Amino acid sequence: MRYREALNQALREELEADERVFIMGEDIGVFQGAFKVTAGLLEEFGDKRVRDTPISENTIVGVGVGSAMAGLRPVVELMTINFALLALDQIVNHAAAIHYMFGGQAKVPLVVRMPQGGGHQLGPTHSHSLEAMFLHVPGLLVAVPSTAADAKGLLKAAIQDDNPVIFIEHEYLYGQRGEVPENGGPMRFGEAAVRREGSDVTVVGISRMAVTAERAAERLAHEHELEAEVIDPRTLRPLDLDTILESVKKTNRAVIVEEGWPHGGVGANLAALIQEQAFDYLDAPVARVTGADVPMPYSKPLEQAAFPHEEHVVQACLALFKDL
Amino acid sequence: MATDVMMPRLSDSMEEGTVLKWIVEVGGEVKRGEPLVEIETDKANMTYEADTDGVLIEVLADEGQTLPIGEVIARIGAPGEEAGGGRAEEEKESASEEPEPEPEAEEKEAEEEPEEEAEPEREREPEPARAASSDGGGNGRVKASPVARRMAREMGLELAGISGTGPGGRIVKADIEAAAKGGGTAVKEREKEEEQAPPTSDVRPPTSGADGAKGEVRTQELTRLQRTVSRRMAESKATAPEFLLNMEIDMSGCVELRERLKEVAEPAPSFNDMVVKACASALREFPRVNGAYRDGQWELYSRINVGVAVAAQDTLIVPTIFDADQKSLGMIARDARALIGKVRDGNITPPELSGGTFTVSNLGMYGIESFSAVINPPQAAILAVGALKKKPVVDESGRIVARDMMAVTLVCDHRILYGADGAEFLARVRQLLEQPLSLAL
Amino acid sequence: MAREAAVSKEKSTGNGTADGAGAQHSLPDKDTCHAVLAKMMLIRRFEERAGEMYAKAKIGGFLHLCIGEEATIVGSTQAMRDTDYLLSTYREHGQAIARGTPPKTVMAELFGRVDGCSKGRGGSMHLFDMERRFLGGYGIVGGNLPLATGVALQCEYNGTEDAVVCMFGDGATNQGTFGESMNMAALWKLPVVFMVINNQFGMGTALERHSAVTDLSKKAEGYGVPGSRCDGMDVLDVHSATTEALRKAREDRQPQLLEAVTYRFRGHSMADPEEYRSKDEVEEWRRRDPIASFSKRLVDEEMFSEEDLEKLDQEAMATVDEAVQFADNSPFPDLDSLYDNLYVLGEQVRGWWSVDERSPEPHRGEREREAGRVPHELAEAGAAYAGVAEAQERKRRQRQADEEHGEGEGEHAADPRDVEGGGD
Repeated sequence: MRYREALNQALREELEADERVFIMGEDIGVFQGAFKVTAGLLEEFGDKRVRDTPISENTIVGVGVGSAMAGLRPVVELMTINFALLALDQIVNHAAAIHYMFGGQAKVPLVVRMPQGGGHQLGPTHSHSLEAMFLHVPGLLVAVPSTAADAKGLLKAAIQDDNPVIFIEHEYLYGQRGEVPENGGPMRFGEAAVRREGSDVTVVGISRMAVTAERAAERLAHEHELEAEVIDPRTLRPLDLDTILESVKKTNRAVIVEEGWPHGGVGANLAALIQEQAFDYLDAPVARVTGADVPMPYSKPLEQAAFPHEEHVVQACLALFKDL
Repeated sequence: MATDVMMPRLSDSMEEGTVLKWIVEVGGEVKRGEPLVEIETDKANMTYEADTDGVLIEVLADEGQTLPIGEVIARIGAPGEEAGGGRAEEEKESASEEPEPEPEAEEKEAEEEPEEEAEPEREREPEPARAASSDGGGNGRVKASPVARRMAREMGLELAGISGTGPGGRIVKADIEAAAKGGGTAVKEREKEEEQAPPTSDVRPPTSGADGAKGEVRTQELTRLQRTVSRRMAESKATAPEFLLNMEIDMSGCVELRERLKEVAEPAPSFNDMVVKACASALREFPRVNGAYRDGQWELYSRINVGVAVAAQDTLIVPTIFDADQKSLGMIARDARALIGKVRDGNITPPELSGGTFTVSNLGMYGIESFSAVINPPQAAILAVGALKKKPVVDESGRIVARDMMAVTLVCDHRILYGADGAEFLARVRQLLEQPLSLAL
Repeated sequence: MAREAAVSKEKSTGNGTADGAGAQHSLPDKDTCHAVLAKMMLIRRFEERAGEMYAKAKIGGFLHLCIGEEATIVGSTQAMRDTDYLLSTYREHGQAIARGTPPKTVMAELFGRVDGCSKGRGGSMHLFDMERRFLGGYGIVGGNLPLATGVALQCEYNGTEDAVVCMFGDGATNQGTFGESMNMAALWKLPVVFMVINNQFGMGTALERHSAVTDLSKKAEGYGVPGSRCDGMDVLDVHSATTEALRKAREDRQPQLLEAVTYRFRGHSMADPEEYRSKDEVEEWRRRDPIASFSKRLVDEEMFSEEDLEKLDQEAMATVDEAVQFADNSPFPDLDSLYDNLYVLGEQVRGWWSVDERSPEPHRGEREREAGRVPHELAEAGAAYAGVAEAQERKRRQRQADEEHGEGEGEHAADPRDVEGGGD
């Protein structure tokens, strides 16, 4: 099953299971979604539950927050993560803060879905990876599924959760296939997946980079006799730091791979956490492989050069063992 | 276009070097192949030659400054070309902060290069001291990863005695594990102390109390060579599980041979040369003695290169006699003489100091009868040779006769040599020395 | 002169007059009049006292008082059903009180105490009372319009008869969310009344200096939201207009924009020197004081006597006294509650990691409060920087607690900063 189909299945199942669940977003109904994640749902559930909205991101999310406070369980789709920036006010000032600032009286069981990532030549306003921005905000949960199974399990969990969830999908991953368990239920947030076991270096891959990290690990094993342990945190908030620390204590080396920008990135954050919590277990500085520190360029070679590939991960791992 | 001169790598184990002396001054002409700068490596003082023609337009590493391999230490450019590096800018700034600045210093620098040469030289003088005291790169602090530090602390291992295999020579967990496997001979620190003192302050003992009893303390900075020796010796002791084999060798035959050779050969081979030759011949028959234990493997070397420990300049230098098994006693004697001369004169080169597969250490000239030596890692063994001494010996016919006896001690790394191996090797050496004619062949 | 013109225009378009408030609306029954007047008086006294408490540094941050807007607040909320939702701005003490939130919990919130209606987390700008469907004061200008639209969507979605009133200021009509929300509410036919409280200023910027269209009731027409206007100084006019707007929203599923033309007698916040308007202008509006004019009519029409009014005022004062006393006696929130209510913990999310940037020790979540000694001590150390009043208050309570529990250990010495005067 493809990643996008897994998401579609999660939405369908949750729409069926709970009358309070509805989805809204730009062109998710008649148009079937910019990335076809919501294909077929309008026909099946009608326009009360599957709502096309005007292009008004901040208000779409705000309407989601308001309806969630009042008891519904909205799932909002934003067409790309860059468009979520128009809704940052509602996400940060309201979705994330309401439960806290009103002393726990109101809940915001809202899911905001959005794809991120480069590789499709969509240029500097449609291709970024901004999970770090949302990770920054206390009160939000942040999911970054990289497989079809996780996409489904985590989306179901997100919809059933009482917290506002930023659910970050990936444009590249939409078309990827993966095993999805039959009748699988919701997954637990805050449980990392160890994609590959290894004893020499811990590689933490975020979102699509979990896939890249896994490929790099295969190459490290075949070409360099290094066994990398690949960890996909799956959710950044809550973060399964325990699994990462366990691994680092075993391998004594960590590389964090993300597609986003380096400054204030997920890797920067994780590197800080690792050195704070496992300093005495490190055999090398915590390394990061990140996207280039530029707006995503359009031209294909430039674009490919602007986000990490296996080779970058391989090199970063090798550099922890020897002078390159 | 200026060419960067980088800190050269001048030995197999060199990671950083110290600029001892700039042979060419800033503004001076540089010719390819001609001496440019003297560099102190971990093994020797080296003259480094320019690899391009031009003018030395800028010096970035001052005399006394230690820099890692690959760092730019100077720039060579066309005559009149200006220095462009960031470092030069900094110096201008610091120059203007001096109490007696020359107002036109900057203009002068551009216009009259020869005159300003002396000025920066003088200004730079304080720098080496600063570099030496605060250099985190390797001068004081041992580079070790956090996990390696923690493990060393827990095991009571001295980091200084362990060589790092990580990037930039960093001591990593594997190095500690290897060191620990090799037998923890290092002093176990009292745990109390560990808890109380932060790891970095372990280096310095408490200043109160102890000092008074010992009088004034004069600390002496080690030279690069001395540091290398101390590091390698400590590493050897910490990692190699050693055992000792003692034997007395009747050198009367050698004494006789030497007397005869004195008449025909110049220089006449010393007893040590004979020991070297005997060892070299024996090593051919016992390849493991000519090997090394490394990373869980035995390395056996095809060439037999015998190092001869030489005391010089408050340090220990081990020049190598390459392919000693294939050299005649006379050739060994000539080689040894030449190498010792170079060591004493201070112009031995790194290649002449590396590549040894076995070491002979002789303290006979100091009247030492018998002693133990520290294995020169990663070699399998070292032969400690004492002085010749006439001793009463019972001969085949049962009579007591005076013979020239020499005590030797073979110190073996038990990871590659076992008791019998060492004993057989040593017996062969004795056989060769007691019937020395074969040595002279 | 534009100023004068604008004021006189508002006056002429509003239904009320300076001396005969709501003459065209006949008075409702005495109980209703009593309730309305009592609420307006209570809000007035509450706000006055809040201003005093702010000056005494009992209240921190910003304090936005609604004095002058009581008729707008009470008139509109009086038209709402108990099951209707109200969302407001950061000038919302009156709204909370009008919806029935006890003044003492509002005052406690202003004091930052644990018994505040938002448990001391929100403060003056973020009051909340879920039970009374008062869904919050919001600090972001225009930020509550999408929320109200969402709440209205829930009403529509669940097919209830509930409606939503969303109050915001004249300045908010310039925000993108205003247009976006009007459009979406009209598109989806949601039961919401957008009520713009036009108090003539967006902070210090006068209406005609911030909005090209000064008849704000017309500002949503292009989005399909019909507008109307009422005299915000006349409680009966506001009530009547809101009732009609709510009926249309509720029954016709047609969102409404209702403009209440009013005036705040005090500055934007306590720290406002009011240099952008003349004393004369304020005086002119004060002559239309909504409480005074409504009271006058009640006396004129012999429904109330002067004594009745005096009694009502006494009651209001007593309630406010009680509120202050309650707030003063309420403790500050427990420092260990710092991380409470950040997340709703449930089956899916049982714990989470948060790292206090001042300490490497992680907080594992609300259920594992015993995060450790260090975070707790850090919180204590941070709390010691609270203002003098807060520090003294905490000390006093600590001593009290120690005496009660017979523990000798006192609190860490406070290192209070100077009390800041607040401001914008």
